[in-house]
Amino acid sequence: MIVAQHLTKWYGPVLAVDDLCFEIPAGEVVGFLGPNGAGKSTSIRMITGYLPPTAGRCTIDRLDVMTDSRAARQKIGYLPESTPLYTEMRVTEYLHFCGKLFGMSRGDRNKRIDVVTAKCGLSHIKRRVIGQLSKGNKQRVGIAQALLHDPPVLILDEPTSGLDPQQTLAFRDLITELRGQHTIMLSSHILPEIERAADRVIIIANGKIVAQGTPVQLRDRASRGGTILVEAKATPKQLTDLLQSLPSVAKVEPYKLGDWTRATVTAKDDADLRSVVSEALTKAGHTIRELHLSAPTLERYFVEAVASKMTNVQA
Amino acid sequence: MMILTLAKRELSSLFFSPIAYVVLGAFAIGASTFFMQGFEPGQPASMRSTFDAVVWLLVFLAPAISMRLISEELRSGTFERLMTSPVSDAQVVLGKWLGALVFFCVMLLPLVVHAITLEMVGSPEFGPIVTGLLGLVLVGALYLAIGVFASAWSQNQIIAFLVTVFIIALPTFAAYYVSGQTTPDPAMRRLIDYISVNQQYADFAKGLIDIRNFVYFATGTALFLFLSVVLVQSRRWR
Repeated sequence: MIVAQHLTKWYGPVLAVDDLCFEIPAGEVVGFLGPNGAGKSTSIRMITGYLPPTAGRCTIDRLDVMTDSRAARQKIGYLPESTPLYTEMRVTEYLHFCGKLFGMSRGDRNKRIDVVTAKCGLSHIKRRVIGQLSKGNKQRVGIAQALLHDPPVLILDEPTSGLDPQQTLAFRDLITELRGQHTIMLSSHILPEIERAADRVIIIANGKIVAQGTPVQLRDRASRGGTILVEAKATPKQLTDLLQSLPSVAKVEPYKLGDWTRATVTAKDDADLRSVVSEALTKAGHTIRELHLSAPTLERYFVEAVASKMTNVQA
Repeated sequence: MMILTLAKRELSSLFFSPIAYVVLGAFAIGASTFFMQGFEPGQPASMRSTFDAVVWLLVFLAPAISMRLISEELRSGTFERLMTSPVSDAQVVLGKWLGALVFFCVMLLPLVVHAITLEMVGSPEFGPIVTGLLGLVLVGALYLAIGVFASAWSQNQIIAFLVTVFIIALPTFAAYYVSGQTTPDPAMRRLIDYISVNQQYADFAKGLIDIRNFVYFATGTALFLFLSVVLVQSRRWR
């Protein structure tokens, strides 16, 4: 549905997006993740046809966003970053205006406005002036607007910024509800919300894709780092000396907990250290009261993927 | 149809901006002051002197209406949403210009009141009043086209305002320069007279409709609207 081929954007001498290639099949929910300034919004602006790419092209349902721009734009529901809205308009008035821009008839507009305001939890504030709404409600108006013409493609740039935890949860439910009806691309720099909502995650840093895959795949990749957590009856020094002597251990980071010491142990070559460490500690007579693989999170993978990219650039 | 939708939104948002009321008030006071100066027994029952003076007010008031048209949307980011809707650049430019022009016509309403006042106390000729008003609308159309162009330059309304006033005032500066010369080049003189809006408007105030004046305003307006579309499009190849 969305195909980006070698999208590249230079702002003068600054390379914002570097040879971005990906494909999003119809019906998939894709999270677009990256630290601030990674080129997320620039990429999205090229995909929606607002900014022309310096090189490369993007198609929506086989329509080129630059050469077939208006036909392609008709297929996109878009929420730009920071939710720009006409603050002097009322909610329904604004939605009617947006509907007209997409060539919807009055009947269609009335029907769809009822549907999207209900979906986005706006029914009770339909007649309010947008400028007087809270940030969370403005955000919902932005999402309602993107959904209004029932577009096959939804592109939401930072849709949950400004929402409180409850609203974030409601937003996640909304995405779940929309899953299958639309191809959805949502960007964020906050991981958990994407981890739960998306079928697939694309992580970018410095304008380049550093990783992509399902949240599970990425988490697996992160867990291969082979880190374990161990808590045993020993002084930090004893524990460090003992474990450092093992050939497969790369690093030991202990800290004292009364008589006990808790340590994060990292392996060389992604090995699973649990059995080696438990044998060594038992043999030395240290009681173990906890030993487990350190839970991999997408967060860690994200941080590592981004950090390695950053050091590559600096080198 | 799309142009009307855009124009309607622009017009209603103009009425929500405080600057609009400053402009409406300033024009009403300014125009009425000029009108009252000639509104005495023994003076001719005409609005020619009012029109001639009012056209100067527009140099500042038209840019004040137009300065926000695109700048404000660039600043707030709504322009991105607008330009990612299936509307063309030309529709956006024309819609905004048309919305501003309707507002401009509302601004001119006090002049109609003046005309009715004249009718009550004297017997003015309506021909010159109608052509004078028509001329003002044409001047407004041109100035607002220049304004749309300037407001597509910058997300700063003040810059848009100043650029518009500058472009409008350029022929006037040129006219002063030429009149300061002891032996002005006649060709240059004619050129300056031709591009001077006030010279072009003078005939309308007298009650004359000359096709050349019409052509002047129509081409000028079209030129700046075209340049605005190019400027909006240039975002695609800059």
